[in-house]
Amino acid sequence: MYRYDEFDHAFVSERVEQFRDQVQRRLSGELAEDAFKPLRLMNGVYLQLHAYMLRIAIPYGTLSARQLRMLAHIARTYDRGYGHFTTRQNLQFNWPKLSDIPDALADLASVEMHALQTSGNCIRNVTADHFAGAAADEIADPRPYAEILRQWSSVHPEFSFLPRKFKIAVTGAERDRAAIQVHDIGLHLKKNDKGEIGFAVYVGGGQGRTPMIAKLIRDFLPEEDLLSYTTAIVRVYNLHGRRDNKYKARIKILVHETGAEELARQVEAEFAALKDSELKLPEQDVEAIAAYFALPDLPERAEGWENLARWKKADPAFARWVQQNVQPHKNPDYGMVTISLKPIGGIPGDATDAQMDAVADLAEEYAFDEIRVSHEQNLILPHVALADLEAVYRGLVAINLAEANAGLITDIIACPGLDYCALANARSIPVAQEISRRFGSPERQAEIGELKIKISGCINACGHHHVGHIGLLGVEKKGAELYQITLGGSGDEHTSIGEIIGRGFEPDRVTDAIETIVDTYLGLRLEQSETFLAAYRRVGPQPFKDALYGSAAEAA
Amino acid sequence: MTKIWRETGFVDNDPWLIETDEVKATGEQKPLLSLDELIAKADGSNDAGLGVLIKPADDVRRLEPYLDRLAIVAVAFPAFNDGRAFSHASLLRQRLGYTSELRAVGDVLIDQVPLMLRVGIDSFAVTNATALKRLAENRLPAIPHHYQPAVRDAEAGKGYSWRRQAKPAA
Repeated sequence: MYRYDEFDHAFVSERVEQFRDQVQRRLSGELAEDAFKPLRLMNGVYLQLHAYMLRIAIPYGTLSARQLRMLAHIARTYDRGYGHFTTRQNLQFNWPKLSDIPDALADLASVEMHALQTSGNCIRNVTADHFAGAAADEIADPRPYAEILRQWSSVHPEFSFLPRKFKIAVTGAERDRAAIQVHDIGLHLKKNDKGEIGFAVYVGGGQGRTPMIAKLIRDFLPEEDLLSYTTAIVRVYNLHGRRDNKYKARIKILVHETGAEELARQVEAEFAALKDSELKLPEQDVEAIAAYFALPDLPERAEGWENLARWKKADPAFARWVQQNVQPHKNPDYGMVTISLKPIGGIPGDATDAQMDAVADLAEEYAFDEIRVSHEQNLILPHVALADLEAVYRGLVAINLAEANAGLITDIIACPGLDYCALANARSIPVAQEISRRFGSPERQAEIGELKIKISGCINACGHHHVGHIGLLGVEKKGAELYQITLGGSGDEHTSIGEIIGRGFEPDRVTDAIETIVDTYLGLRLEQSETFLAAYRRVGPQPFKDALYGSAAEAA
Repeated sequence: MTKIWRETGFVDNDPWLIETDEVKATGEQKPLLSLDELIAKADGSNDAGLGVLIKPADDVRRLEPYLDRLAIVAVAFPAFNDGRAFSHASLLRQRLGYTSELRAVGDVLIDQVPLMLRVGIDSFAVTNATALKRLAENRLPAIPHHYQPAVRDAEAGKGYSWRRQAKPAA
C-alpha cells in the first residue's frame, strides 16, 4: 500500500499545525463560528447533535495494521472507546473535544493518515472497490489512480470552495463494488484494443433528495489525461454549478439542467486547453505509484483446500461463514474475507477499540498487513490463505465479529440517524437493530439469499437507501417518525434508483412491513437462485403493494 | 476600512474604486468598470490603463481582446463560500496570459489568502480585522508543500510530476 515520502509527511504535519492555529483562534474567540466552519469542515470536524464529530479519511478504504491500531488508540484516548465506519470508507468519532482534535490529527499524521477533506464543499475522500488488487474479476487496481487523485485534490487552491461537496469513486473490475454511478465523478478502469489502460468517465450521479444516475461522458480517457480531464470537469462545475440553492448545487443538477451532451462539450473544450499542460501524467509516475499497490508476494498454500474441506465438515458455523464471507481471490490458494460489522442486533459499522486492535493483529499475522473498509460498512482482509481461514475465523469469533451475513438481509447499511446526526429526522440504528434481530436466524437468512437493506435517517441519504434492494427513509411527519420504503434500488454496474412503494410505516410497524415484503418475494420467486432484486425487476412493485396495503388500496 | 495588501506590504494611495450609486470616483480615483462597461468603453475609445471588476457569474474569456489595455482586474468573492473567482483567476493567468495586477475584492479572509496567491491573485482588498492584523504581522497561514501545479511559480516538488514546493521568499 501507499507509503508517505518526506513530502507527504511534511504536508500533513504542516496541515495539522495550520489547523491547530485555526482551532486556537476559534477557542480564543478571534474566529467566529461562521468563518471557522468551512475551515474545520475541511479538516473533518463537524458540529453534531451532541458534540463535535471527527471524520477521518481512509483513502480508498485501505489501512495497515498500524493505522487501524492508531484508530483504536484515538477511540480510547479522545473518544468513548468506539468508532463508526461509514459508507464513504471513512471512520468517524462522535465525542471528541474540539481542543483535543489537533492532537488527534497529529497522532494520525504519525501513521500517515489525516482527516483532510472528509467534509466541506471540496473534493472529498476518493473511494474505490474494497476488493481492489485482490479480486479475480479485476482489469486493473483502481487504487493507484485514487491515490493520484487524493494527492492532486488535497488543498487544491482552485477547488476548495466549490458549490457543494464533490465525490469521486474509482473501480477496476467488471463488477462495480464502488457504486461509481452514484458519485459526482465515477471512473471505471478499462483496457482498449491495444491493451492500454483508460477510464470510462461518468458524471453527475448522486443520492440525496434528488437521486440521479451518472451519465457516461467519455468512453475511454487515456490514463495520462486523468488529472487534466478531472480538472476540466471540476472547473466547469465550479464556474457553472448552481449556488443559489444548496439543494440544487451538486453537479448532478448541472448535468441535468445543462444536458449531458452540452456538459460533455464544455468539459471537452476545457480539457482541450489543459490536455498538454503540466497536469499530464508521466508514465513513470503512474508506475511508481502503482508499485506501492503491488500484490503481496503470496506463498503457495495448496494445503488450504484440503484443510478447508475438513474444517467445514467439522463445523457448520465455520462452513456458513466461509460460504458467505469469503470470496474468491486472484490466487486460488487465497480468499478475500469480509469481517461483518453487523452482528445480530448490533449497530451497523461500529467497532470498539479492542475489536480494532484485534483485527489489526489478525491482519498482521494472516493477511499481509492489509485491511480494507467497504462502503457497506464492513472490514475486509483482502489476502488470506485458505489454510489460515480457520485461525482467522476463531480470532473473529473471539471478538464477536464472525457474523456470517455478508450480502444477506442482516448486512444492513445504516446512517447514524437521529441518535447522533444534526441533519436527521428519524432514527436509523434502532430500526436496523430490530430488523437484524427479526431475521437473525442463519437458516432464514440463507433461505432469503442476497438482499441489501439500506436505511437513511433523512433525505440526505447517507445510508444509501435509494440504492438498497429495500431502502428505508426516515421522515418526520407531524412530530412523529415515519419510514418510507423504496424497492428495487441497486448500486452496482446496473445501478437503479428504488421506487417508493406507498405510504410510510410507523417505527413499530416497519419490521413487519419488511417481513411482508420478504415473504412476498419468497412466494413469487421462480427458483431459489432468483434474488430479491432479480425477482423485483421481473414482477415490478404491484405484488408488494398488494401485500403491504391490500389489493384494493391505492398507495397514497 | 478597506486596505490594499500585496506581498510587499500595504499599499498607499491605491486609486481603484468600486463605484456605487452613492460613491463615485473623484480626482485621482479610478473606477473598476463592470465587464459590460469595460467592453463598451474599450470598444469606443483608445483608452488604456483601465480597470474591470469580474463578478462570479461573468465569463472572463470576454476580456481576451482587451488584456493589454487593462491595468487591473478585480475578481469578486462576494462571500467566503463562493469560490468561482479562484477559477476566474486561474483562467486569466493561465489561459488568457494576463500579467498585470489581479486583485481579490469582497470577503477576503486570512485563511484563503494563501490559496488566492496560488491562483495568481497578487493584490487584496482586505476589510476583515483578523486578516488585516495578520497581514500586518506578515503571518500567512500558508503551507509550502503543494500537491498540484497552480498559477504561481513554484519549484518542482520531490517525487511526482504534479507536486510543487513554494519558492523561498526572495
